Amino acid sequence: MRATLAILMVIVGFALQAVSYFFLAAPWGIPSSPVYSNPRVPFAPALFILGVMLVFLAAVVYELLPDRQAQ
Amino acid sequence: MATRVEQLPYGIGRFSTRLYLLLAVLLVLVGWGIFAYSREFVEGLAMTGLRNIGTMGGATWGLYVSFVIYFVGVSFAGITMAALIRLFRLDHLRPLSRMAEALTVIALVLAAFTILLDLGQPLRGVINLFRYARPQSPFFGTFTLVISGYLFASLIYLYLDGRRDAALLARQPGPLRGFYRLWAAGYRDTPAERTRHERVSFWLAIAIVPLLVTAHSTLGFVFGIQSGRPGWFSTLQAPGFVVMAGVSGIGLLLVIAAVMRVVLAEREQLHEGIFRWLGTLLLLLILAYLYFMVVEVLTTTYAGHHHEVRISLSLLTGQFAWLFWGAVAALVLAVIVLLLPYLPPGLRARVPATRPRWALVFGAAALVPASLVALQGLNLLTVLSAGARSLLAWLAVALALLCFLLLLPHLSRNVVAAAATAGILVNVAAIGKRLLIVVPSQTHGTLLPYGDGTYTPTWVEVSIVIGLFALGTLLYTLFFKVFPIMEVHAAEEGAQ
Amino acid sequence: MARYAMVIDLDRCTGCRACMQACKVENNTPMANFWMYVFRFEEGEYPNTHVWFMPRPCMHCDNAPCAKVCPVGARYKRVDGLVATDWDRCIGCRYCEVACPYGVNYFNWKKPSKNYYLDWQDEDVVQVTGGAVPPYRNPDLDAPYGEEHRRTAGGGRLKGVIEKCTFCVHRVERGLKPACVENCPLFALHFGDLDDPNSTVAQLLRRKPSFRLLEELGTEPRVYYIGGHPPSTESRQIEEVKARV
Repeated sequence: MRATLAILMVIVGFALQAVSYFFLAAPWGIPSSPVYSNPRVPFAPALFILGVMLVFLAAVVYELLPDRQAQ
Repeated sequence: MATRVEQLPYGIGRFSTRLYLLLAVLLVLVGWGIFAYSREFVEGLAMTGLRNIGTMGGATWGLYVSFVIYFVGVSFAGITMAALIRLFRLDHLRPLSRMAEALTVIALVLAAFTILLDLGQPLRGVINLFRYARPQSPFFGTFTLVISGYLFASLIYLYLDGRRDAALLARQPGPLRGFYRLWAAGYRDTPAERTRHERVSFWLAIAIVPLLVTAHSTLGFVFGIQSGRPGWFSTLQAPGFVVMAGVSGIGLLLVIAAVMRVVLAEREQLHEGIFRWLGTLLLLLILAYLYFMVVEVLTTTYAGHHHEVRISLSLLTGQFAWLFWGAVAALVLAVIVLLLPYLPPGLRARVPATRPRWALVFGAAALVPASLVALQGLNLLTVLSAGARSLLAWLAVALALLCFLLLLPHLSRNVVAAAATAGILVNVAAIGKRLLIVVPSQTHGTLLPYGDGTYTPTWVEVSIVIGLFALGTLLYTLFFKVFPIMEVHAAEEGAQ
Repeated sequence: MARYAMVIDLDRCTGCRACMQACKVENNTPMANFWMYVFRFEEGEYPNTHVWFMPRPCMHCDNAPCAKVCPVGARYKRVDGLVATDWDRCIGCRYCEVACPYGVNYFNWKKPSKNYYLDWQDEDVVQVTGGAVPPYRNPDLDAPYGEEHRRTAGGGRLKGVIEKCTFCVHRVERGLKPACVENCPLFALHFGDLDDPNSTVAQLLRRKPSFRLLEELGTEPRVYYIGGHPPSTESRQIEEVKARV
């Protein structure tokens, strides 16, 4: 449970990073039109940072998740 | 016995008069920095010495950007040391890990502040970066990976690593008990929790090492991939940044460790072995950096485009020569100091015993002409002629060298002092090198014949930078007064 | 869509700097900011010297280093080729400026009231003007432009943002030519659409050999020079302009 959740968070975090970096943020290439100056989804960079944070938050979740036996 | 046990370890919560005095001085400096920034915020960046490249003949990035790089570079030490200690089980370095983690967090906070100080529209910056940041801009990495990701990762590492100590401290009554309980978050130090933490810190360390290389490289790319700026456009920029980050970070960590050793009187915990080991690591990194530097200078001077040559010459013999050779001298002197522990014992026995007092007198004396020259350089005191100025500068150099020579015998016997001296030297060199990366390519690196520019920081920039350093010291002092700067549990376990 | 470009005839330029003046008047640029700048070069040793002049607007590069590095997309390339600065979005990091090999970016170092040749709030000035502030804001400069409707004409003179030559986007969108082109007494500056074979720029570039500045960097500038040569290591400025704010 604990491990599953943490691994899931890491996977989701990396996926969010990749998706927001390549598909949601401003398109790649030589800027030749205003399209290149706007992220495709507003606040895509914030999503990327959220992805980075999710990956590291997995560590906190893994350690802090209350034990089932203890309850 | 009761009173003895209830005392928190490592001087937590004990505020002496001297400490209050230090905090007051730091607060005054921070306040002065805030005042200087308020001038800049109201009047605009015209209060700084920065001006446009080109017809204005200035540098548009200056002291602030140099210190952004410096602070980010210093942050290298913390998390790397923590990760290295964990990955390679360097248990004898364990006492350093929390110091290093705190250094990382505080340095990154300072770096974030410095970036905001440099922006013309800081409030917009906070919003627009999250809203519009483009991955194609090298700044994307600086702001997402370095400031956000790296800071966040370090905070988590610091937090998780501190839980066990927090749980221990929460057992004792005191005003900070609630804070420790919050930090411990239900940690009871069961074997299951310990193995869990072991596992997590291992994986965090694994995750942090690549992040570290990427993060410091992105900062190098900010400069390294600009083909329009001779002196910046270089493949070596990114690896050079990583190595220089290590040099300055480990140097500062050595200084902090030496200070803590004296202040906390923890000679057993912070034993000489730590300083010898870290000093050797620093030595290797400096040598690697010097190698990079020679390769770079040789390439640009020997085979470079004439614009590249112009920059190189401005460093080697021109306007920036004093800074360049000063930084190189500091690095070389640091190498000498760090090599002292490797003197053969027979030779060391023959080194005359001198007391460091005279060296300190000469060192202090060197500061007087040095600061006079600096004041004139900043246009704050312009009564001296150019001749008098260079005379004073050489006097400062001579006095500093004398101080260093007198200090050598002492340093050859005292590993800690040697390591701390090397730490100070490499940080001075690091700041100089950072300035040399940022400024000359703008003032002397215009590809159209605009002519050479000039850049002199104003009192506003200098005050703000001093204020930032004071803020960092303040945060660090407060941190080690509320939380143990070294791991407690090992010592506690021994007592039980 | 048009493909705007500028052609500068170095044979015709006499270095009168009327274009610089026109730019200042049209765009109300602050003190010491020269969106258009004319180099006055001297080459060779006395008595074999050669004097020539080279106007330098923004190059409006097709592969613009400034647009590449802008962290927030405030500097961008319009579809018609103009490199625009959205001063509503600029955060003032000045990365575009260090990335630009041509040195065409100017930052607003001061607040708007103090950014001009006269500080209109200065006591001495107020004594003369009686507190009247001249109408130095051209409303055209504040309006949004292009399909993307962004404020790119360099109005406002907002403190702490970057500005540069806009190719007078507010004029170009109305079918006029940039102020510098319109005001050149010797017709050394030409502006037009490269896709239109009958435009002056297209004809000139067909007829005469041309070069662009620092072509080796791959920035693909949209400003073409004809009838001269690029500045070399021999070229030195006659009077270096080092106007600072």
